[in-house]
Amino acid sequence: MSNRPRLAVQFDRLTSKSKPTRIQGLAALLLSAALLLLPWIVKLDGKPHADWQQLLGRFHPLMVHLPIGLLVLVPALEIAGAWRPALREAVAFVLSLAFLTSLGSLTLGYLLAYGSGEAGSTVTRHMWGGIALAIGIILCMLVRPSWSSRTLPFAYPLLLTCTLLTLAWTAHQGGSITHGSNYLTQYMPASLKSLTLGNTTRVQASNPTSFYTKHIHPIFDTNCVSCHGESKTSGGLRLDSYDQLMRGGKDGTAIVPGNPDGSLLLKRVTLPANHKQFMPAEGKPPLRAEEIAWIRAWIQQGASPTDATVAGISIREPRSDAPLIPVGDYSALEPEIQQMEKSQGAKVMHISGRPSDGLVLYTVDVASSFGDAQLEQFQSFAPYIVEAELGRTAVTNASFDTLAKFTHLRALHLEGTKVTGDGLAKLASLSQLTYLNLSGTQVTQTAVAPLASMENLHHLYLYDTPAKPTAASESTQPIVRNPQ
Amino acid sequence: MKQHPLCTDTECEPDVLNLPVPSELRQEWAVLRTRRHFLGRTGKVLGWAAMASLLGDRVLSGDTRLQGAKGPADSQAAGPLKLPHFAPKAKRAIYLFMSGGPPQIDLLDYKPNLAALYDKDIPDSVRGGQQLTGMTAGQARFPIAPSHWAFKRYGKTGTWVSDLLPNTAQIVDDLTIIKSTNTEAINHEPAIMLMNTGNMNSGKPCLGAWLSYGLGSMNDNLPTFMVLQSKLNMKEDNQPVSSRLWGSGFLSSEYAGVGLRSQGDPVLYLSDPNGVSHEVRRNMLDAVNAINQQTSQELGDPETHARIAQYEMAYRMQTSVPELADLSKEPKSTWDLYGPDAKEPGTFAYNCLMARRMAERGVRFTQVYKRGWDVHGNVTGTLPMLCQETDRACYALVTDLKQRGLLDDTLVIWAGEFGRTVYSQGGLSPENYGRDHHPRCFTTWMTGGGVRTGITFGETDEYSYNVVKDPVTVRDFNATILHCLGIDHNKLTYKFQGLDQKLTGPTPASVVQGLLA
Repeated sequence: MSNRPRLAVQFDRLTSKSKPTRIQGLAALLLSAALLLLPWIVKLDGKPHADWQQLLGRFHPLMVHLPIGLLVLVPALEIAGAWRPALREAVAFVLSLAFLTSLGSLTLGYLLAYGSGEAGSTVTRHMWGGIALAIGIILCMLVRPSWSSRTLPFAYPLLLTCTLLTLAWTAHQGGSITHGSNYLTQYMPASLKSLTLGNTTRVQASNPTSFYTKHIHPIFDTNCVSCHGESKTSGGLRLDSYDQLMRGGKDGTAIVPGNPDGSLLLKRVTLPANHKQFMPAEGKPPLRAEEIAWIRAWIQQGASPTDATVAGISIREPRSDAPLIPVGDYSALEPEIQQMEKSQGAKVMHISGRPSDGLVLYTVDVASSFGDAQLEQFQSFAPYIVEAELGRTAVTNASFDTLAKFTHLRALHLEGTKVTGDGLAKLASLSQLTYLNLSGTQVTQTAVAPLASMENLHHLYLYDTPAKPTAASESTQPIVRNPQ
Repeated sequence: MKQHPLCTDTECEPDVLNLPVPSELRQEWAVLRTRRHFLGRTGKVLGWAAMASLLGDRVLSGDTRLQGAKGPADSQAAGPLKLPHFAPKAKRAIYLFMSGGPPQIDLLDYKPNLAALYDKDIPDSVRGGQQLTGMTAGQARFPIAPSHWAFKRYGKTGTWVSDLLPNTAQIVDDLTIIKSTNTEAINHEPAIMLMNTGNMNSGKPCLGAWLSYGLGSMNDNLPTFMVLQSKLNMKEDNQPVSSRLWGSGFLSSEYAGVGLRSQGDPVLYLSDPNGVSHEVRRNMLDAVNAINQQTSQELGDPETHARIAQYEMAYRMQTSVPELADLSKEPKSTWDLYGPDAKEPGTFAYNCLMARRMAERGVRFTQVYKRGWDVHGNVTGTLPMLCQETDRACYALVTDLKQRGLLDDTLVIWAGEFGRTVYSQGGLSPENYGRDHHPRCFTTWMTGGGVRTGITFGETDEYSYNVVKDPVTVRDFNATILHCLGIDHNKLTYKFQGLDQKLTGPTPASVVQGLLA
């Protein structure tokens, strides 16, 4: 501080008193106490209240950015003030603005939560964060003059740091309410995720095969839990576990086993979409008709957490359509790929407009001349090719070595080729292979046996092979009948 | 100044300045020039400006950089469209088009309560003042005609299927049956145009043309989009179909469907004429292409490129089509499956088999037309014939694709342009009845890549007259098909007449999520 011009120091002394007056201290104390008592005076009871509260409350997400911006400005001004003292003169003003806007945000936020009936651990944390922040700002304002006059040199920087940390934490809680708690981490690389979040395996459901766990709970999980969960508990109702579901909410029991029409939950999701009490609320997509039918049948038959089936409802097991694994960046190879297409006559096309989805190799134009040697030429692009259409080409068993290098291969067509299956086991390393077509080849039962170890290989076609005699003798025979 | 190739103005004034003329005359010339030439030329300038805006600046600036081997029409497709928009479930599609409007009540839309309502009038509340066709509007009564055929439940899904379709019944667990398809058109031509091109008026590209334009070809030796017409059965009521249905509209004509004939050579004049060797043919084509290339550079008409591409395709088809149409290597199991009809070129069964062979050879989109479903009268006489021609073939195609591992990435669609009325057109007797056009609901099905099989989607009321649940408009239907092929229907567009034209038209359409796998 020694390099501050004398004039500026004198100015500081004129504008701010070196010590907070007793009245200021008392006011700060009373205000802080009032803020701390607020949650007990006006309880967030999880019930929706007046509409006007929500109307105003919804400006909370807008308003909060004012105190955030202003508070971040404070340390910036203080630090820059070391070189340009005039900047420090603005700090007291900025702090009081931050204080006023934070009070405003707090009020609006409270109206929002109270009006819409939101409650839950994240909402509660966010509320306490907001209160702590407001008190922090008050204290900062209170101790700053003592820092300026150097009577208390450490209290203000320490308090300001704490206030800023509180700000960051509170803002994050607020963001988690609107965007969901995994918003920041969703697209984090897996390695980083495990580092920052630790072991996040979810608690295993007690009945992994029950109808509830497999079909009912996922419906709630996708459509309802963002508002009716642990972090946000609208209407006091939680749908994130069976016990919570059966406990019901503030409006009553959600599920009455055996009585779908008497179950409040079913009633709410089947209201007309423009009805005030329709769920899911706030324009979120309604449940699908079949999902409602499943819930209805499940309630009708006792809403059991353990029964594996519900009569009259048959649901196909969802296909294990894992998201496509990106193949990596091959843009540098594009000219080479085009060159190869020209010289070989085979086509290498993008799976989609997103290059990382990979490439497809089409050989239908040059099928008769496309053999093992030609396939080998494509080795350098192998990791980027996710589908290889080699049906009716001249490739033989010798190509399995090459194909094993197509590490991202998802679909492999070898129908009508000369492969006999020797060396088919080499494909076992292709962990992403889900489709293999060997129809019309000479593969035998013993040759395809090693493929059984491939967990992801869901579609193996052996039509018209020694491994599976012509299927015509089985169920594929049509009913030849002249309809009358 | 270098004259622009498009400028055909030959009235260039003589160079008067270099002529030995007296200076007074020269001055007079200059005066006259100012007034007359100014007025005269102004008119032309406006014309040129109009033409320039019509042709687009690329053509006028003589920029041939974008006019690659595929023709300038491709320049809209290349680059910014980035197709497919997402990884597709289906790479190709086979569309079995039942032209004429199959009667849903007699095939897949089971209405058990109608039997009790035989010959009762359909309540006015159900019809709701709907305008009818001229064929039944004058009828005094609209007596309910229950289906003549019994229905049974099939498969694990327990789907009700008419006795007319014993083979389709075997694959119901693989089908996605849509009972709530509905259209806005009540007569054949607008309705069939709407189904195929998304617009009741002709002149728009059809689904197949949009697919070829957007997705391009998987092979060079066969067209991307092929159309197979099935032989006519003269006992059936055949509404005409025309090449407008597989036309490319304002897209380059190389995206139009290529039809195979149902009799004789699949493609006319494909084989070399007597005395013309393959080499001579090649030389002739090269020469013609060179001339076309010149014309293209002079005029910049994209159709010239389309023509070059079509000549080249025809040349390659000289070898690819005979191989495609050669069924001698099909095993016995094929014939057991498709039945003896499939051996006769041009039958629906033969076309289904060809559709499978095209799918194997990288044809992106095959459309098979079966006409004759327009059963205004004599339903009990005609419908069994139609079903016998198509039922086994549909079953065979789906089963065949499935056993060969092609159904995973092939979308199969079965649809007509509308449905048929529950009330009888003309006289109703216990033995026979007729059915008029009915746009408010009709039944279609899909199977294969991208769709959720083993379900029945949508519901109709107890008269099979109005959709009561999950309606699927023609726009939604087409948007869903495009989605299965990796295309966002809102993004596959082509600028024409000042609009971003698209298959589903300007009215918002949505992909029917309930139909997707």
